[in-house]
Amino acid sequence: MTTRRGPRPAPERLKRLLVMLPWLMERGEVSITEMAEHFSLTTSEVVADLELASMCGLPPFVDELIDVFIDDGMVFTGVPRVFTRPLRLTAPEGFALLIAGRAAMVLPGADPSGPLGRALDKLAAVLGDDGVVVEFARPPLADDVAAAAEAGERMVITYWTPSRDEAADREITPRAVFADRGHWYVLADDHRTESERSFRIDRILAARPTGAVDPPREVSLPDTDRWFAVDADIERVTLRMPTELTWMIERYPVDSLVADPRPKGAKGTSTSAPPSTSTAVMPVLSEQWLERLLLRLGPGTVVVSPERWSSLAGRAAADVLAAYRSVSLES
Amino acid sequence: MAEPLERMTNLLALLLETKSPLTLQQITGELGGQYPSNAAALRGAFERDKSVLREIGVPIEQEVLGGDQAGQTAYRIDRRRYELTDLELSDDERRALQLAVAAVRSDESWGNEGLLKLGAGGERPSRAVAATVPTFEALPLLREAVASRATVRFPYRDHDRALDPYGLLLRDGYWYVIGYDHQHDQVRTYRVDRIAGVVTVGEANAFVRPSDFDIRAVFPSDPKLLGEAEHDVHRAIVRIDALRAALVASEVGDAAVMCRLPDGSIDVEVPCVNRDAFRSWLLGLTDHAVVVSPSDVRDEIVSWLTALVSAQ
Repeated sequence: MTTRRGPRPAPERLKRLLVMLPWLMERGEVSITEMAEHFSLTTSEVVADLELASMCGLPPFVDELIDVFIDDGMVFTGVPRVFTRPLRLTAPEGFALLIAGRAAMVLPGADPSGPLGRALDKLAAVLGDDGVVVEFARPPLADDVAAAAEAGERMVITYWTPSRDEAADREITPRAVFADRGHWYVLADDHRTESERSFRIDRILAARPTGAVDPPREVSLPDTDRWFAVDADIERVTLRMPTELTWMIERYPVDSLVADPRPKGAKGTSTSAPPSTSTAVMPVLSEQWLERLLLRLGPGTVVVSPERWSSLAGRAAADVLAAYRSVSLES
Repeated sequence: MAEPLERMTNLLALLLETKSPLTLQQITGELGGQYPSNAAALRGAFERDKSVLREIGVPIEQEVLGGDQAGQTAYRIDRRRYELTDLELSDDERRALQLAVAAVRSDESWGNEGLLKLGAGGERPSRAVAATVPTFEALPLLREAVASRATVRFPYRDHDRALDPYGLLLRDGYWYVIGYDHQHDQVRTYRVDRIAGVVTVGEANAFVRPSDFDIRAVFPSDPKLLGEAEHDVHRAIVRIDALRAALVASEVGDAAVMCRLPDGSIDVEVPCVNRDAFRSWLLGLTDHAVVVSPSDVRDEIVSWLTALVSAQ
C-alpha cells in the first residue's frame, strides 16, 4: 500500500470495516498500531473507522453494532451482534487468490505437497471446480538462477546479446527472478558495469557458480511496461503497418498505436478497398532488432520516420535472400 | 440525515438481521430520518446505497410482493450467502497464500483484499521469485462461469460468440478461454485480452464438461498452430546456422532436431500451418535460418523477401 492517500472513498471504508469488525471481535482487545499495520491503514484512519462503527446500530438504535472503546492505544470490544463473520470473497478476490496460488505452485522452488497445496485445496472446495491452469514454462537454467538469487551466490554467465549478436561472459549476483509476458528474467548486480541489470534467462547460454556469496540486498522489480518508455533517449521509429499484423508488436513497448483513417471515397467504390493500416510509434531497442521486426512485418509495412531507416528492410531482406542462395532446396 | 457511510452500514445491518424482506417504505421507517424526506431524493439515495453494497460484493436479494403490498419490491440479505465460508486455514497455509500473492505481480489489489478476509494482513512478504499475471475484468466472470457450467457470450473480432467455457489457461503470458463454441459446433480457444466487450454469463448448469477434457491437450501444442486444426499439421524443415543452433534447439526441443551438420548447423522440423506465425518466427532469426523444404513454403518466403527488396 504505497500510493493511496487523501480521503478514502466510502465503498473502500465500508469494505474495510466489514473485515475489521469480525477480526477485532475475534481478538477482543488489540493495539491500534497492530490493527493499523494489519490493515495497511494509518492509526488515525483506524480510529475514524472505529468511531463510525460505534455510531452505527440497529433499530431502535439504543445499542451500537459493536461495543468498542479506545484507551491508551488499545482497542477493546464487547460482545458482537452483527458482522461476526467477514463478507464472502467476491469473484475477483477468489479468482486472484486461486491464480496466485496456482502460479506460485509452478514457480521455481515450489513445494506442491506443502501448505500452499493444502490451502489451494481448501480454497477450491469453496470456490468450486475452477478449471484454471496456470503455466510459466521456464528455460532450464531458471531454477539454478533462482536458487542463486535466494542465496546471493555470484555466478559467471555466458550471455547472448541479440542487438550485437555476440555472446560474452559476465559476472553477476542474481537478486530476483521473474516471469513477464512469456519470458523469464533475472535482475542482478552486474559486476562489470557495477550496476543493476536485467537479463533474459533464455539468452543465458551457460552459468557456473563462482563460490562467492554476496550479502543480501533489497531490490524492487522493474515495471516492464516502462522499461524503455521512461528512457526518452532511446530513438523512436514510426511504422505504418497492416492492422492485421499489429499482433506482432504487442510484446514490445509501444508509445502509441492508432488505426489510420480510411482514405475518402474508398468505401464502396471498389471491391478491392485497400487493407486497413495502423501507425505505431515505438522505441527502437537496436537497429538489428528493428531489422528483424521489419522482415517479419513484410512488404506491407512502411517506415514513416526517421528517413535513414526507410531502406533498412530491403537491405536486410537482401541479406537473407543471399542465405537462400547458399542453402539449396532439398527434395 | 446521516452521513452516507453510516447510513449504508445501518442499512446493511438491518437487511442482515431482518426476518422477512423489507420494502423501501419499511426500511425508511426503521432507519428513521437517515434518508432524505423528499421522495425522489430518497429513492436516489437508496439506489446509490444499494449499488455500493452490491459493488463491494454484498448479495442483496429482492422480490416483488403480492397480497396487500402487491407490486412493491422487498429486500433482504441471506446471512449464509453474505458470510465468508470458513476455510479453516492453518497458520502455515495462510502464510503460504500470502507468499503466493506476494509472488504474483498484477495491476489489481484483488488478492490482498481476499487475504484480509482470510485473516492475513500486514506487511507483504518479499520473494526472490515473482511472476506477472495479467488481469482482465472478464477473467473472474469467466472463472465463475467455468465453475458453475454457465454459457458465456462475448464479442470477438466483430462476431458475437456463445461458448460453454471448459477452462482457462495462462500460457506464455496470455490468458485463453477454451470451450465448446455453439456456432462452430466444436471446441475453440479464444484469447481473453482480445474479447472486445462485455461478457454476459447465462444460467448455471447449462452444460456438462466432457469428463476427459484436458485443457493442455486441447490447446494447440505450438503457438504456430493456434487457430488451426491439429490433424492437418504441415511441417517445414529449417536449417539453423551454427550461431543460433543452440538457442533454437533449446526452444524447439531435441526431438525436433532432425540432423546436426558438421559445420555446427542443424535442421529442425517445425509446424508451419499458421503461415503468419511461422514466417514471423523464421524471419526473427534473419539470415541464420533458411527453409530447406517443402518447396512451396520456401518459395513463399523467398517471394516475401523479394517483395521487401523491391518495395524500397
